Amino acid sequence: MEEFVQQLTNGLAVGSIYALIALGYTMVYGVLKLINFAHGDLFTLGAYLGLTLLTSFSLQDKMGPLAAVGLLAIMVMGLVALIGALLDRVAYKPLRDSPRLSAVVSALGASIFLQNTVMLIYGARFRVYPQDILPRTVIDFFGMPIPLMRILILLVSLAMMVALYTFIQKTRIGTAIRAAAIDQGAARLMGINVDRVILIVFMVGPALGGAAGLMVGLYYGQINFTMGWVYGLKAFTAAILGGIGNIPGAMLGGLLLGVMEALGAAYISIAWKDAIAFMVLILILIVRPKGILGERVAEKI
Amino acid sequence: MMTKKKGLAAIGVLIFATFPLWMKYVRPDDVRYWVDVINNVGLYAILALSLNVILGDAGMYNMGHAAFYAVGAYTGAILNTQLGVPILLALPVAGITAGIFSAIIARPVIHLRGDYLLIVTVGVGEILRIALINDVFGITGGPNGIFGIARPEFFGFKIKRPDHFFYLIWGFAALTLFLFNRLKQSRFGRALDYLREDAVAAEGSGINTDRYRLLAFLLGATWAGMTGSLFAAKMTIISPESFSFWESVVIFMIVILGGSGNMAGVILGTFIVIALPEVFRDFASARMLIFGLAMMVMMVFRTQGLLPPKPRKFNLPKLAEEGE
Amino acid sequence: MNKILGVLLALSIASAAFAADTVRIGLMAPLTGPWASEGQEMKQIVELLADQLNAKGGTQFEIVAEDDAGDPRTASLAAQRLSTKNVVAVVGTYGSSITEASQSIYDESEIIQIATGSTAVRLTEKGLNFFFRTCPRDDEQGRVAAKTIMSNGWKKVAILHDNTSYAKGLAEEAEGLLKKEGVEVVFFDALTPGERDYAAIITKIKSAGPDGVFFTGYYPEAGLILRQKMDMGWNVPFLGGDATNNPDLVKIAGEKAAEGYMFLSPPVPQDLTTEAATSFINAYKAKYNSEPGSIWAVLAGDAFLVAAEGVNGAGSTDTTKVAEYLKAGMKDFPALTGSINFDNKGDRIGDLYKVYKVDGAGKFIMQ
Repeated sequence: MEEFVQQLTNGLAVGSIYALIALGYTMVYGVLKLINFAHGDLFTLGAYLGLTLLTSFSLQDKMGPLAAVGLLAIMVMGLVALIGALLDRVAYKPLRDSPRLSAVVSALGASIFLQNTVMLIYGARFRVYPQDILPRTVIDFFGMPIPLMRILILLVSLAMMVALYTFIQKTRIGTAIRAAAIDQGAARLMGINVDRVILIVFMVGPALGGAAGLMVGLYYGQINFTMGWVYGLKAFTAAILGGIGNIPGAMLGGLLLGVMEALGAAYISIAWKDAIAFMVLILILIVRPKGILGERVAEKI
Repeated sequence: MMTKKKGLAAIGVLIFATFPLWMKYVRPDDVRYWVDVINNVGLYAILALSLNVILGDAGMYNMGHAAFYAVGAYTGAILNTQLGVPILLALPVAGITAGIFSAIIARPVIHLRGDYLLIVTVGVGEILRIALINDVFGITGGPNGIFGIARPEFFGFKIKRPDHFFYLIWGFAALTLFLFNRLKQSRFGRALDYLREDAVAAEGSGINTDRYRLLAFLLGATWAGMTGSLFAAKMTIISPESFSFWESVVIFMIVILGGSGNMAGVILGTFIVIALPEVFRDFASARMLIFGLAMMVMMVFRTQGLLPPKPRKFNLPKLAEEGE
Repeated sequence: MNKILGVLLALSIASAAFAADTVRIGLMAPLTGPWASEGQEMKQIVELLADQLNAKGGTQFEIVAEDDAGDPRTASLAAQRLSTKNVVAVVGTYGSSITEASQSIYDESEIIQIATGSTAVRLTEKGLNFFFRTCPRDDEQGRVAAKTIMSNGWKKVAILHDNTSYAKGLAEEAEGLLKKEGVEVVFFDALTPGERDYAAIITKIKSAGPDGVFFTGYYPEAGLILRQKMDMGWNVPFLGGDATNNPDLVKIAGEKAAEGYMFLSPPVPQDLTTEAATSFINAYKAKYNSEPGSIWAVLAGDAFLVAAEGVNGAGSTDTTKVAEYLKAGMKDFPALTGSINFDNKGDRIGDLYKVYKVDGAGKFIMQ
């Protein structure tokens, strides 16, 4: 039982990162029906930009760790949001009216391009965040040692997801995003500026991905230019698992995938854990062909 | 008019078929390298043509094609190294095995829509790769893979040099083109066109869409399996890393970039995706960056793919004649 | 017919090469892809050594580098390309399965190949005349690992690999030896390389209750595991294989988490007191502004030096003579990682493996 709870917390921490990245996939998909394969590389970019900003301004010396991390997060999210918007302009906007899969190939090209840009700028070697920024406290949870940071990762991710959900559900822009996701043409007729909606989606999604990259850098410490590919595929899987285009679905899918991996590793086999996760995914899709929560729950509200 | 076009095509084919012969004089220093690049293009061309049946003709998003390629390669390699079956004889068996594998996989998921099918095929590819690495059934050699696959022999002639493989691989590619072209003109090909454009209408017109989709999947997978055996014969060693998710992505890109549904476009796409990074070799570590940029630029300027398929044309007077 | 052509070709290459007094040596390395950091360092080191050697006069060497991207298919293309570029010898490459995809191409072209990080046993068991390697073999490392584990007094051992050809081979080698000696292997499984979070695996190993863990994978994962293990408050001793010998290990894990970590490795150049090694490291620092990170890249340097010595010692670029000289003529050639002798299979002779331990300041201390 103790091991089970421990593995559950392990899985939730991993899953919350997947969920944050999955939100970027699902938002873009919801509005454009595009699988943005470059999204994983925006996540990588977030990790690298965080490292650069942190070390070049030596933030933590000037303002203490907490404020430094907060400022860092704002800067990284802003920068990655800009890059995301730029990416849409250059690689996807010209393809709006063409077959859906053309934009997918453009996205794959963008992914290769971004990945190699990072390699050429930062080098191929693993880069490492400074070690002393975050507290490495271990919390005693009924006799189980659980690192404080794992709980924080989960809480911060959940907070961001709740914020996003409120934004989508309660604000005017959020309503416009939902409208554009249901029917772009009709939304346009209702006076919604769909181009602006797309722009916002391409800023919010990458910003969350960038934040996830920063968290990975801060907690795990080690980053390299190929890491977006692995995280991207996992996050995309999570988005599909929950029902792509559906924001609570991406959160659920991410957390579930993380937990599935941890429990699969614990009780079946570590070497087969990714295969187990995919098998569960396929079984779920056979039973529920549109993901666990289905596509676009927003429609029903 | 028609004969002139045919004449030009014949000349083109002749020039290409003698590639290893004249390349010797154009690039005497590295002719073998360039022939080998073209051999790789050939293998990917067959793979892409086989995916084109599934993705381009039937409109099913399959991003796990490397799985069927792997099943074929491993079947061929195991038959050759364990039982001593010549690799070219193992070729059809490899194809059939891959076909059966695909049918088992596809049966329960064939009705899934677009992107859900895509992630399922990605998952199948990954599950298979992990199974190969973990030496499933104790016959795949785990991460080492299988080595010591014998060179193919063709009526006593041992195929081992790149220029030998050129004729084997492109011969098979030509056969593939011929057969798939015939297929496209058949009832099967027309049914696929119909269900890709409008599945509901096709169903309503009495086409058993699930059956045709399954058949397309099976055919594409069988062909990929045979290509896998050719790959095993050429490399003499195969290991799981040759069948990664990235391989599936590359084949997928080729079909879409070339112009999904058009075989000439798919061949052109293969040349661009496989040969282009080789041309960029002089840029050393920046070569993949330039390649990624090129993919984006090509897609932005040719949004339908390089050579999109033309709408099917019917010779009406001739059809009327036949109808009478 | 082909043979005659080949010999003629080789002769013409040889005479052309000697007439110009420039010998071409190929380098096949992962300049892009997941092992790009190793590959680019290999290139830096080999190019620097070639410059140094050329500055001394004598036979001049030119390096022709090709990217194998850490992938068998690209490697076979790179090999096809190098085999037509008039190279006498090829240095490389890093991964065993990548090297294997290129072996027969070089052998058929009668080009010397000197692998640098490919430790899989079978590579030199095929009877290829032109194949050498400057790195040791997995079976030797397995023996040293088993010995170290027993001298540490571990009765229950967990073995973790990463399902690469190399790591799995080493893990199985060690497992077999340990079982024979009556050491209980309480855990044997593989992680997925390239991930960030290994907490699930650490939790599982912990519940198996080993006295020590032997990890046969690579340094990026080793560093993360050490760090996450400390975060979870678990103090089990770790022993690693030679692929964890990289200063980045300490950077990733942090000094505190890395302290006490042991690994097996050929001696790092920093531990060599020979003049060749120290002067080379100084030159490297001066040129690239950092210390050489990877021992495997340093072994690529050794492979280049051996190739150059082969050509000079044989007094010819005829590869049959060079191969013969490397196997029989060359004795205790002083290279960066110590003196090099080859046996008849092309394997490096001698007990190369040492046990290293990370101290409190993150330094690798030879035991």
